[in-house]
Amino acid sequence: MGLFKFAQSRSLWMMHFCTGCGAVEMPPTMTSRFDMERFGIAPMATPRQADILLITGYLTVKTLKRVIRSYEQMPDPKYVIGFGSCTLNGGMYWDSYNTIKRLDLYLPVDIYINGCMPRPEAIIEAFVKLREIIAKGEANGWKKYKENIKWYKENQAKVFDVKKWSVIKWE
Amino acid sequence: MGIEGKIVEDIVKRFGDKVRAEVQRERRVKFYTDPINIKPLLYYLKEKGFIHLSSISCVDWIKENQFELVYHLWSYEDKVHLMVKTRISRENPEMETMIPVFPVAETYEREIYEMFGVNFPDNPNLKPLFLEDWDGPPPMRKDFDTRVYVREKYGMIDLTEILRQGMDKIKGVRDEDEIL
Repeated sequence: MGLFKFAQSRSLWMMHFCTGCGAVEMPPTMTSRFDMERFGIAPMATPRQADILLITGYLTVKTLKRVIRSYEQMPDPKYVIGFGSCTLNGGMYWDSYNTIKRLDLYLPVDIYINGCMPRPEAIIEAFVKLREIIAKGEANGWKKYKENIKWYKENQAKVFDVKKWSVIKWE
Repeated sequence: MGIEGKIVEDIVKRFGDKVRAEVQRERRVKFYTDPINIKPLLYYLKEKGFIHLSSISCVDWIKENQFELVYHLWSYEDKVHLMVKTRISRENPEMETMIPVFPVAETYEREIYEMFGVNFPDNPNLKPLFLEDWDGPPPMRKDFDTRVYVREKYGMIDLTEILRQGMDKIKGVRDEDEIL
């Protein structure tokens, strides 16, 4: 294990993008009962200082724009955790006209937590797993996003105006 | 006769057979009328103490080819909830704006314009309220097929289809068992 990967996996700042009902599971995870700081993970308020983007529920088209803008502002390396079944397949909003169904069409997701709702234990397990794959060098979502930027931008363009909402240049 | 009966009597005296009234139950009164009478009726009711327009809702009666607009009024003195109902045609739906009576109607009408496509020509602020970059028909109409729209736009995973295929497979296996 390289020193950098070791250090990266043990000091993670998480920006939790609280959409939907998943946000309610974050306070117990952060505070003394489950205490995610045991694993070196702490909440961060701004994207420019964060390593993990945790998306805690359904994303409407309106929110997705803001999520992508936040994601593109984060420095490399960066990781995305999709939380709950809403990010996987739409969950209970599977036929809703204004929520997206699969987050991995628009952003590279490193780890999904399934369930509706996932308990704080599940979130902690996802963080431990994320630490493992970072240490092994397998959490390459941010590289995939750069390599396949055209594909991602095409998918994003289907639901909103990408030129207006992107921070990075890809053409 | 309770307070509801008094309100109905008062309205019938003032508007005659232009308005049909119905007491649904205690503290709930419905009025049915034509679109043209809505504005004088709301002005009159506002004078009578129904100062709070809590919502305007819209119902899509697709078989009758009509939209129903419901103006919900509340009186803090009488503690009565009034529903003033009117129907407009579903073809090129248009309704007079109620901003002169209740300024708050601006936002409600904006929402109905976005979700049902009912036009309010005098409303000065009919821009999108909730939906951004919307490219489909108004989504709350009964003839808007959400599943077709969602499948095309978001690449929906059709769980019912997957389940049906799975069931067919199981069924196939069972049939083979029976043959054996």
